[in-house]
Amino acid sequence: MLNKEQILVDKEIPLLGHVKRTGKGFYITVSILTALVLWGLYAYLTQYRIGLGVTGLSRQIFWGVYITNFVFFIGISHAGTFISAILRVVKAEWRRPISRLSELTTVFILFFGVGSVLIDLGRPDRMLYAIRYAHFRSPLLWDVCSIGTYLTVSSICLYLALIPDIALMRDIGMRKRQWFYEILSLGFTGTERQWYRLERAIMFMSIIVIPIMITVHTVVSYVFAMTIQPMWHSAIFGPYFVAGALFSGIATVITIMVIIRKAYHLEDYLKPIHFYNLGTLLLAMTLLWLYFTLGEYITTIYGNEPSQMAIFWSKITGQYAPLFWLHFVLCFVIPFPILANPKTRTIKGTLMASISINIGMWLERFVIIVPTLTKQRVPIEGAIYIPTWVEWSILLGCLSFFSLLYVLFTKFFPIVPIWEIHEGRGKSIEEVRKRIQRYLPGIDTGDDIK
Amino acid sequence: MEISRRGFLKISGLTFLGLMAKPGWEVVSQIKPIEPAPAPTYFEGKKWAMAIDLRKCWEAKEGCKECINACHRLHNVPSIGYLKEEIKWIWTIDYEKAFPEQLHDFNEEEYKGKSVVVFCNHCDDPPCIRYCPTRATWKREDGIVMMDFHRCIGCRYCMAGCPYGSRSFNWRDPRPFIKKVNLDFPTRTKGVVEKCNFCEERLVQGLLPACVEACKEKALIFGDLNDPGSEIRRALQGRHILQRQPELGTKPKVFYMV
Amino acid sequence: MYDKSKIIPGLLIFLGLVAFPILHNTVSGKAEYIPKTEIPKDKKECIESKAFIRVNHKNLLEDWKASVVRGGLRVYQATNQKKYTMSLNRTCMDCHRDRTKFCDQCHNYMGVTNKCWDCHLYPKELERR
Repeated sequence: MLNKEQILVDKEIPLLGHVKRTGKGFYITVSILTALVLWGLYAYLTQYRIGLGVTGLSRQIFWGVYITNFVFFIGISHAGTFISAILRVVKAEWRRPISRLSELTTVFILFFGVGSVLIDLGRPDRMLYAIRYAHFRSPLLWDVCSIGTYLTVSSICLYLALIPDIALMRDIGMRKRQWFYEILSLGFTGTERQWYRLERAIMFMSIIVIPIMITVHTVVSYVFAMTIQPMWHSAIFGPYFVAGALFSGIATVITIMVIIRKAYHLEDYLKPIHFYNLGTLLLAMTLLWLYFTLGEYITTIYGNEPSQMAIFWSKITGQYAPLFWLHFVLCFVIPFPILANPKTRTIKGTLMASISINIGMWLERFVIIVPTLTKQRVPIEGAIYIPTWVEWSILLGCLSFFSLLYVLFTKFFPIVPIWEIHEGRGKSIEEVRKRIQRYLPGIDTGDDIK
Repeated sequence: MEISRRGFLKISGLTFLGLMAKPGWEVVSQIKPIEPAPAPTYFEGKKWAMAIDLRKCWEAKEGCKECINACHRLHNVPSIGYLKEEIKWIWTIDYEKAFPEQLHDFNEEEYKGKSVVVFCNHCDDPPCIRYCPTRATWKREDGIVMMDFHRCIGCRYCMAGCPYGSRSFNWRDPRPFIKKVNLDFPTRTKGVVEKCNFCEERLVQGLLPACVEACKEKALIFGDLNDPGSEIRRALQGRHILQRQPELGTKPKVFYMV
Repeated sequence: MYDKSKIIPGLLIFLGLVAFPILHNTVSGKAEYIPKTEIPKDKKECIESKAFIRVNHKNLLEDWKASVVRGGLRVYQATNQKKYTMSLNRTCMDCHRDRTKFCDQCHNYMGVTNKCWDCHLYPKELERR
């Protein structure tokens, strides 16, 4: 257990700075975000009152910005699992300062993923019918189950990794909020036995969340892939969407890291090496994304099936060409040179690449969903889709609400896990040394792995 | 407050009993509602289908909309006025668009640009019913793909599943846009999906669907495919029959005779 | 007790505020209001007894909804052995032609909202259009 003196000795004070002190910037940020959230709420209430006709959706193109938001937000949620769970399982030491902020992204953004579907419903007052009269043959129900499971397991992961820090907050003494930390710390006092149990629990949850993460975005892709609409009915959608999710997720985490680093003066903890490593992963994801995208379009053009080619040409040279090529530039042409060159894989570089990728991936989801609806098997005259102020306001409202919840979280809990940093400073060096010795010939470390 | 495990179990048990007092009393003292009397369904053993004689339909005068008007008037289908929000249960499209798989460079001249009346095909293997998360749309045993407006949550997934685009969505409250309300059929609210229902409420009374009755050229034929002597079976013999996109495996039950 | 001079008046004011609606209704006579439902003059009997309908009309209509829409069965056999069509409009509203004078009287009094009228029309409404 960490006591006050130990913290001061370990110089972990910056990590608690944003919890203890509330500056002007915080109030300004919260005010602006709240205003944007209220604007988004007003837009939704207009839609609730009048009906979905206030959007740009039509009889022909009945899914648009809201479903794009749904897929995009669920995609971002894969970031947390990737960084916090997968890197934890492979024992990558550099994940320590970023594991909580990425897990937090996952948990909070899942609410908006589900929220986007609920916003899209024609009769949201009947949303619980999906549970009461559940029809399990529907991919939407598979979504409900998998996203529900993912949210539960991710929340547990987040909470478990939070417990030692809550215990720390309780021990430091935070006058007004003491009762809050006392309840949430579950009596954690940092004994040998408790640490053992906690670490086993965290490792267990980290392992089971990985297959859940893969199923979640696969099932989201099945909403489209299981229909017989041209250019949706593709087996590659499963892995394509998972790769795209990891891609946009890592990009989002990089963006959030840069903001938090600047706002909370965490330059010592979120070092250029972290951005460099995440940038390397992002580079791998860029290439993987390119592989899947090319696979999708090359097989389409080679097959030359009329209903599919109509949509293909509308994306490449037709109505949706500007958006398609813009997304390609944003997802590949801009990030790839930045990330491929180690010299530009800096904080600034990865930030530029991430912002480009985030916008590009939102457009990618849009370009997957809307062109197919524009040219369904039976073309209907005059169908164009121009999202209205309601849809943009709700997107802005969702993003603002997510940011608001994030900022409020940082007011209560340290965003960089103090116990993980402390563990890194202390035990990890010895652990890593022992680990490397196990791999080298001629040294018997007395393990049971022969 | 210290409490032993035993004490906790005792208190939980008492709380549970206390909470069950009211529901228990209600169950015991309830007047049982009378079950609807079970009766043989009128549609047992039937397989409804529609045959459209395109030649007879094309003999009608230009701009004939008898079937469309009859259906939309009977079912309180609103005329919204904006193309993007329109609701239609039955409408016409060009021959080329109705049967795209029939197109080649040497199609018959006489079919070019002719209108074909289309509506929900009430497929035998409908893709749309699989996607509904609440089973608000399902296939009845007599083959009609039903729509339950009470249960629809408006997710529009069935619209994504239908390859023919037969379904419409209520983008706003339809009531102000209904020209002449028919009391015998409910209107719908905003936020639910609707489509042709083969006039299921008329079939109960032994009537033919409204479009069939309204057609002056007698181009629409409706009947039971399982009955070898029915009019539709006789009509389908010996004519060249087209279906909309049969290669999709949906087994539509609307047959077009050219 | 501590702060007696603050607590007892506070409690009395609280009780007064809480009980005000009850007292007001009793004094002004609103408590005696009984919703006046207009019974159709020319029709003799409802499909079931008054006691049954009062308690069960919601469940009855929901059973009818399930039976007609999802089951395809439309004939209801009442306790008086007569057969009726299961339809809000054609059976119930055929006699009680105006919901504002019948259904809404009790529903508004009890604060019950139902969404049936969003879709189902009643005869008087049609005459007004």
